[in-house]
Amino acid sequence: MCGPTAGCGIYARVRDGKLVGIEGMPESPRNKGKLCPRAFASMQWLYSPDRLKYPLRRVGKKGDGEFERISWDEALDLIAARLLEQKQQYGPESLAILSPARRSYSDYLYRFLVVHGSPNYGHSGICAIQRAFGLAYTLGTPRTAPDYARAELIIVWGANPVYSGTPQGALQSMLDARERGARLVVIKPEMQPDAALADEWVPIRPGTDGALALAMLNVVVNEKLYDGEFVDRWCYGFDRLVPHVQRYTPEWASTICGLPVEQIVGLARRYARTPAACINMGNAFDQVVDSSNAVRSVAILMAITGHLDVPGGNIISAAPSTMPAVKSVHLRERYTQEMVDRLVGPEIPRCFQPFIEGTSSAYYRCLDSVLTGKPYPIRGIIAPGTQPTVITRGPRRVVEALEKLDFFVVMDVMQNAAMPWADLVIPVATMYECDHPFEVAGNWLMARNQVVERMGDYRSDYEFWLDLAVRMGYGADFWNGSIEACMDYQLGNFGMTLAELRSHPTGIVYESRPPELGDFARLFSARSPRLSGAPYLPQGKVAVYNTSFAAAGFSPLPGWAPPPESPASTPELLPKYPLVFTDAHTSEVYNAGWLRNVPYLRAVQPDPWVHIHPDTARARGVDDGDWVIIESPHGRIQARAVYFPGIRPDTVMGLQGWWQGCAELGLAGYADGSANTNNLYSVDPAKAFDPLVTAMPKQTLVEVRRA
Amino acid sequence: MTKGQRGFLFDAGRCVLCHACEVACQAAHGLSPQMQWRKVVEVWEGHFPAVTRTFVSISCLHCAHPPCQRACPSGAISKRTENGVVVVDGQLCTGCRECYEACPRRVPQFGADGVMGKCDLCLDRAAPACAAACPTAALRSGTMAELADLARKRGGKRLAGAEGPALFVCGPQIPVELMRLP
Repeated sequence: MCGPTAGCGIYARVRDGKLVGIEGMPESPRNKGKLCPRAFASMQWLYSPDRLKYPLRRVGKKGDGEFERISWDEALDLIAARLLEQKQQYGPESLAILSPARRSYSDYLYRFLVVHGSPNYGHSGICAIQRAFGLAYTLGTPRTAPDYARAELIIVWGANPVYSGTPQGALQSMLDARERGARLVVIKPEMQPDAALADEWVPIRPGTDGALALAMLNVVVNEKLYDGEFVDRWCYGFDRLVPHVQRYTPEWASTICGLPVEQIVGLARRYARTPAACINMGNAFDQVVDSSNAVRSVAILMAITGHLDVPGGNIISAAPSTMPAVKSVHLRERYTQEMVDRLVGPEIPRCFQPFIEGTSSAYYRCLDSVLTGKPYPIRGIIAPGTQPTVITRGPRRVVEALEKLDFFVVMDVMQNAAMPWADLVIPVATMYECDHPFEVAGNWLMARNQVVERMGDYRSDYEFWLDLAVRMGYGADFWNGSIEACMDYQLGNFGMTLAELRSHPTGIVYESRPPELGDFARLFSARSPRLSGAPYLPQGKVAVYNTSFAAAGFSPLPGWAPPPESPASTPELLPKYPLVFTDAHTSEVYNAGWLRNVPYLRAVQPDPWVHIHPDTARARGVDDGDWVIIESPHGRIQARAVYFPGIRPDTVMGLQGWWQGCAELGLAGYADGSANTNNLYSVDPAKAFDPLVTAMPKQTLVEVRRA
Repeated sequence: MTKGQRGFLFDAGRCVLCHACEVACQAAHGLSPQMQWRKVVEVWEGHFPAVTRTFVSISCLHCAHPPCQRACPSGAISKRTENGVVVVDGQLCTGCRECYEACPRRVPQFGADGVMGKCDLCLDRAAPACAAACPTAALRSGTMAELADLARKRGGKRLAGAEGPALFVCGPQIPVELMRLP
């Protein structure tokens, strides 16, 4: 039920074999006894009437949602037979597995694909990897951790530290920093809770973060606010950046971002002049067509101002720990150039694959290949814990692809939005019904206990992949189906079995020390995960001017690419569509397209909403709470207007992921897509993809009127 | 003030509207989703872009002189002598809603059976579920002496009011008339 930052320690209260309560585990260094509202609503999730308890086989037409119950063994036999048949007929690459958010079972999906011979892990194209890629090939590391604890200036930029990993320490550290006097600046179009607590809110127009970053570079370069020594010693191509950024003046950015020139200049000066200043760059940088530009611009900004790997800045050195490495179940050592060549729709260019998580095709492009046949059609898709009709762009096109797809398997703990198109539906166990895997969070390791019995003929995600592999003849690579052996393999470096780990009820906390900072010769020579193992940074320096990108045919310096529709780039649309629309991906009670059927959570946010400035609403005769139609050049949806004084008056903001009803509260679902924000966005191949990292935009122009 | 009176401290400088306190309360008491013995409300002031947004987590404040108790015609509401917790006897409550009218914070809630329900400071638990759940320590519980000490350190003070609410507040000031449920 969590997003990718799962892994909190939880005490489950069980009475008569039933889960009746949840408490945070104080012994867990991950969440220190605290939890989020989703966890407290676990009982309603576990016992939801929507739980899937038996495998299902489709009997009606695709999309009708008529199924018959079959057994686990029958279902797995059917999948194995079909996948083997497709492999023989079309080659192993005809199978794609669509990625859920990063999960503890993600590497099992990679392992299965590698053994099968397919490179097509269908990664979202809208989360994390986009940022990681730009950072890695600019700074030599895919991650830069903001050092809140020592910062004097904290910039939260298109991130939401409140609704992601709420109890896991970063938010607490940010609040503590603020209390001791650090300045908090939050850059985002609406005043979410982090912006409400900030010293300065920078209400930027959606999708224009890259323009702001370029203008900040302009100020830093022209006012010579950079760290000359660091630039000389550790940056490659700074002299090319100087003429490049001249056109990106604060005045230029002001019209694009909708911010006062003084605010842009002031922010650049304050950041450059505060030695202990850090940036938390968030998901806004992944869901924009300018993604790779924006990420590179911010990375260069961090570097040339001397904020990399210094106290209070962005830390790239790893903290040494006494904890041994958990052995990965991924089989990345088996990747070949041939597999990379066979990617159906590479998420990042082939010459940069595999990347940190493995090889990947973009989620949307896997589906699109079914319709275009280019370069070949995907024939079989398994969707574990992911809902393609809800959570990627172009839902109508996705449905077309699912109608045409040869073989589609959906796996979930409960009925989901993609199910009606599935040939087979595989129910899986929740974490409360499993004694595996084990939790690994930072330097904490804990065995998970099964606290309630399973309620039907289903197993865990992990067991599914092992069971299927055995049936496919891949058993030798999957511990011959033994989950115990699989777990013990992963703990190989710890000198203990899972059963032995279980004798530490709240797990083991290993010691870690703060990292020693500033060993740039080592940091900037880090090897990339490409087959060649070549370093990320060919010059051993920050790639201000990026020769790797130039060699692959991309711009060596970060430029600017506007959203497909925006006030500055498509003013001709403004008479009909005068407002900017964007959405959030996660809220305080939901993540992505999940959890709308959990009554305690749905009661907090019962209806699809759109935040609108009261002046903007009144000008349209819209009252607080009215149902409205939101229409873009690409589609229309409905939502309830919420008067929101803390949003740009030229912008409205919704929430992704509405489709599910909540029977207990008598609240409707919107399975017809009538509240799916993805219907509003462009999927134009020429405009809606970042050419380097496939990032797909979530910005467009709309009009809002009473329903 | 009742000796040993228990209550809450709320720091508006740390509340992030995560709703953990609300749902932890509902789950701990097995409430229906529509019943909220604790709720976080927001207060907007100013005009874009000079706008402020502040969150307040509100529940029964176990007043020293509970207006609800005075208003109740059937004697269903009482104040415990050992800890000052204001409790309702469901057997005596007639669902007349006089308590709701009397409460400055509109705290009393009425379920399908018409009986009033509200925060009982989790008398059956070691500590109130809401404060135990709060991931930012914006909401804390304890005796008034403990909370007074903490409030002093954090620059806060006891909420004013003739009814004597058992609440200390820190952080951005919220107009007292806005500290109530919608």
